[in-house]
Amino acid sequence: MHKRFISLLILILLGQTGCSNVEPWVKPYERANLADIAMQADRDPVSSGYINHVREAREGARGAAGGAGGGCGCN
Amino acid sequence: MRQQMSSILRYLVVTVWLLISSAAIAADGPAPDFALPDKSGSTVSLDDFEGQVVLLNFWASWCGPCREEMPLLVELHDRYEALGFTMLGINVEEDSAAADNFLRTVPVSFPILYDRTNSVSKLYDVIAMPSTVLIGRDGRVRYIHHGYEPGYENDYQDQIRELVRE
Repeated sequence: MHKRFISLLILILLGQTGCSNVEPWVKPYERANLADIAMQADRDPVSSGYINHVREAREGARGAAGGAGGGCGCN
Repeated sequence: MRQQMSSILRYLVVTVWLLISSAAIAADGPAPDFALPDKSGSTVSLDDFEGQVVLLNFWASWCGPCREEMPLLVELHDRYEALGFTMLGINVEEDSAAADNFLRTVPVSFPILYDRTNSVSKLYDVIAMPSTVLIGRDGRVRYIHHGYEPGYENDYQDQIRELVRE
């Protein structure tokens, strides 16, 4: 019983140290590839701004595009 | 049982100590020395600038704020160079071709060092890009700036002024 308890305690402790050093796995100075233009979801901010405007103004669709507002058309 | 408890306790203490000691570089601690190649391939080390105020700027060509900041740093360097002040631009890219391209568009008057293996970035615990470290004449880290936003150059200027007077 004791043995089981202690092994559980050790397991928990080990688990905690696994989580203790949470830090960016990719360091800020290693982000060359992540900063590449090919990694951006939004390739052309002007064009996607226009498309978002069309969706809002013409189709009454709002939200889920990173902007504020809920689709009531009141803001 | 007691022995096991004490071993668990010891384990805990070691864990906590590791957590605390992971914070590497601090303001007012000695600036760790390093040596890196510059553009011509010759090695430049921090020790070469002993007695001077040194500004280390960790930058990369893919980092927008770094590109924004670079011309302002050049201006600061040229203004305070005569007072025993120097800047070292530490490029953190593995492949420095893009950096050299950028430097053709923004000519820089201070040494650019290439940290291709990121050893110095690790040493200085760069947690944001760009990172700017100001080292006083006594070789101690005095100010650390993470990131860049418009207006930071005024802080740099005030701190450089303060440090060159010492």
